[in-house]
Amino acid sequence: MASADNPSRERILGRIRAAVQTTAPHHDGPSGQIFAPVTDPLDRFQKECVANITECMVTADAAASAAAIANVLASLPPGEIFAQDAPELRALVSGFTDGRPLRWSSEGPPNEASQATITLCEALVAQTGSILVSAANGGRQATVIAPVHIVFARLSQLVPDLEAAFARVYEQGIASRNSYVCLITGSSRTADIEKILIMGAHGPRRLIVVLQKTG
Amino acid sequence: MTTAAQEFLRKAAEKSADLAHRGIVRWNIDQYDAGVGRGKTRFADWEAARQRCHDIKWEAVNHLDRYLLQFEQKVKENGGHVFWAENGEEARHYICDVAARTGVKKVVKSKSMVSEEIHLAQAMEKMGIEVVETDLGEFIVQLRNEPPYHIVTPAMHLNRQQVSKLFKEKLGAEETQDPPELVAIARRWLRKSFFSAEMGISGANFIIADAGMVTITTNEGNGRLCTSVPRIQVALTGIEKVIPRLQDLATLWPTLATAGTGQPITCYNTLIGGPRRAGEVDGPEEFHVVLVDNGRSELLADLEQREVLHCIRCGACINACPVFRNIGGHAYGVTYPGPIGSVLTPHLRGLPEYQHLSYASSLCGACTDVCPVHIELHHHLLHNRRNAIHAGTHSSAERLGMKMFRWTMMSAGRFRFMGSLGRTALRVIHGMRLEGTALDPMRPWTKDRAAPAMPRESFRDLWRKQNGVR
Repeated sequence: MASADNPSRERILGRIRAAVQTTAPHHDGPSGQIFAPVTDPLDRFQKECVANITECMVTADAAASAAAIANVLASLPPGEIFAQDAPELRALVSGFTDGRPLRWSSEGPPNEASQATITLCEALVAQTGSILVSAANGGRQATVIAPVHIVFARLSQLVPDLEAAFARVYEQGIASRNSYVCLITGSSRTADIEKILIMGAHGPRRLIVVLQKTG
Repeated sequence: MTTAAQEFLRKAAEKSADLAHRGIVRWNIDQYDAGVGRGKTRFADWEAARQRCHDIKWEAVNHLDRYLLQFEQKVKENGGHVFWAENGEEARHYICDVAARTGVKKVVKSKSMVSEEIHLAQAMEKMGIEVVETDLGEFIVQLRNEPPYHIVTPAMHLNRQQVSKLFKEKLGAEETQDPPELVAIARRWLRKSFFSAEMGISGANFIIADAGMVTITTNEGNGRLCTSVPRIQVALTGIEKVIPRLQDLATLWPTLATAGTGQPITCYNTLIGGPRRAGEVDGPEEFHVVLVDNGRSELLADLEQREVLHCIRCGACINACPVFRNIGGHAYGVTYPGPIGSVLTPHLRGLPEYQHLSYASSLCGACTDVCPVHIELHHHLLHNRRNAIHAGTHSSAERLGMKMFRWTMMSAGRFRFMGSLGRTALRVIHGMRLEGTALDPMRPWTKDRAAPAMPRESFRDLWRKQNGVR
């Protein structure tokens, strides 16, 4: 946008510059540790998942991960499944497909009627039991559109807290490589009617993490 | 024509006498209080979190030009557009232009208080564009043709029966008393909108300078669908929402969630940095950020009140306010209710017409105590009162009254005389049973309350008698 199309830009900036010539007083207070350090990330992650209603399954190897995913899919009504097109998921697929149609992210975004989506993630955060995803994880819709979202992650992706998660975001250029990043904590919910907690407002009703210890 | 102040007094009187309404608000606030109590235990040091949030916002607001320019630069690098709007009209005009140029017929919106502030939906509807609110609470109040009742919980004032009746009337849904079914009805209805809309409009909880991203916080996921599915995306936000660094969110996200709802962190904290990039599966073709000033840069110039721009719109001060708890959100008649609204509205809409809100407070300071960014809210209410007096907005009757008060208080003899006059007058009114009638000068107080009978003697008289002082 050329500034000629937006003359207000200079006017607003001019007022801001004039105002911040003088700095406002600063409120001083305690600068202690805000959150207690996370000592056992895996244990904390699992506890947080229970609290925020994420189903977390810790698996030993690829075969166990495929079986865990197959188990979830078996509980769903018939219909298409969508998956992020990634080598790890391609490798697992023979172990979990049950004959239903499977659409890969390389074919485009998921159908609105998908029964479940399966994606990888950028990181897991133990402090809050959160999953960090980006546009690279099958696109923007992949992690919100279906009633069930299954995340396949490895233990090496688990970081202790939000500070560490942001350190990883900078280190790996997650925010600069992607137009979209989302920190997901539990499945979609609302308490807009009488403050009653109801799951599955607009996004997934079930959020499942398959967390593989090895490989 | 009634003024905003008269309308406020009328609605406040009506709402504070509506016991059913007060019951609903009390129920909601009790749930909130319990949640926040639990939420705070998750912090090792809540005060340190407040301090950190204050530090972040202080840094951003006191270097606002630098961080806004850094943000703008980054967004442009990533293929987005940034428009600076002096006021609501410019912002509406820009967004309507984008909509007209790109052939938009339907808009899905996630929660944005700035869009309420500038009356965006009304302007787009005038152009023949359908605007659908997608946050459940916002969707409900939109169907009722009402403004949001509360900045975090827009439909706080309604119960499930009212929502069910509304969905039956407006959406043709079956009646149900089951809240999950009500949510499912809205989900089905709104899904259709997400996939038929060409434009998604969101607000921004923060805009991040070093990343050139906007972040929106939602529990329902509607904000994610609004920013994923439609082909044009607009993020509408105030200039004060900028923060310096992405890692500031490691404190701001949990603190906002805990202060806002008691949650450790909100379900979805989404960061959007531009349109769909080459190689990405989906996302909008165009990404526009509209930075709205609308009085904010003038507030920035007011050193005494600059920190009001630190507000992260969590709603904690509203929930804590005894005035809000009794009159609710709609009585204020403005976009931002409660203490923050009473401080901010005179800056956005003009002090003379909205100075009455500075008096919608007991100055108890509960708002200041709970503010997660340390805004001295009740002091700012006093600043607004003083500024209004200096601007000469008070009536001549009030000026005369204060003059008489001063005259009385400046001499012990006059104080005694006026005291005895007052006691006599009130005794006469009481004796003639005129209390609370139009003839009672104390009517604003006595019409709803029984005043105790006035004693014949003052405290001074009694003291002198009992201690034998002559």
